[in-house]
Amino acid sequence: MRLEKCWFCSSTIYPGHGIQFVRNDSKIFRFCRSKCHKNYKMKRNPRKVKWTKAYRRLHGKDMTQDATFEFERKRNRPERYDRNVTENTLKAIKTITKVRADRSDAHHKKRMSGKKSIALKESLKELDQSIHLIRAPGAVELDPSKIAPKKIKVTIQQTQETAPMEE
Amino acid sequence: MSFTSRCSRVGRSLLGAVNTSTFGILRASHDAVAGSNFSNVLFQQQRTFIQMRTNLKVADNSGAKKVMCIQVLKGRKKGAVLGDMIVASVKEAFPRGKVKKGEVVYGIVVRAAMKHGRCDGSEIMFDENAVVLVNKQGEPIGTRISGPVPYELRRKHVKILSLADSIV
Repeated sequence: MRLEKCWFCSSTIYPGHGIQFVRNDSKIFRFCRSKCHKNYKMKRNPRKVKWTKAYRRLHGKDMTQDATFEFERKRNRPERYDRNVTENTLKAIKTITKVRADRSDAHHKKRMSGKKSIALKESLKELDQSIHLIRAPGAVELDPSKIAPKKIKVTIQQTQETAPMEE
Repeated sequence: MSFTSRCSRVGRSLLGAVNTSTFGILRASHDAVAGSNFSNVLFQQQRTFIQMRTNLKVADNSGAKKVMCIQVLKGRKKGAVLGDMIVASVKEAFPRGKVKKGEVVYGIVVRAAMKHGRCDGSEIMFDENAVVLVNKQGEPIGTRISGPVPYELRRKHVKILSLADSIV
């Protein structure tokens, strides 16, 4: 039993799922679902379709180089069954997936680190440039009631009262 | 999202009402031209079982190039699928081959463009409809087989599988 990868979106194809198309030069295109198959038939390039793994890898959205990917590799040499090895493998799977999730989270955090300030800057710029769309340029000057009253700073002078101390 | 896009959307809908009446016909015709990519249409046509009058390519060196199915021998009610035997008439043939044009031959379907469900629930489909010519006992006439061959043949037609260069 082998878990294949979808040609279009690179997701895992479990046995009994999907469709495979065999071209005349014996190249096999496996698709995880009809969505991917249809996109292939429409001759779309997976590198240009945003929801595919290929796009995300190409544009630096996902973690691409990591030691944890080495475990999930296609190997053509069958391993001889060994009970201890199998047991250890099953134990290792959990830790490996956890490590990978942590690392990808860190990658995402790093990628998103400067996003908030950029978004704020962009929205401020937009507000500055296109305020006329929601408020006509002369409207504020015409109607004085629309203008918020200016805040006047009031300085309170603290008078120090020198009360005689009670004895 | 942003309010510029919101505002522009309102503008577009207002404009759209004007536009549809004048340019609607033009736009529709443009879409039709863009959609009818010729090869795409060929690829997406309705696929059927191998049935009477289906034209198939010959995937071996028996001498025939193209055959036409005239009878499905062992198959489903509707027609033949991968691994089924058909009777065919040779429509095109190479000169000095084992098989001549106009002969009635037997063949095993090795590739079918219609998707075929496999025992595990997944499906397989090929580029074209192709056949390997055999005698009545099911032994191949040619000595070479070109192109991929499905493992559905493994029960009855092991000879074809062993001749094939790639099994899928």
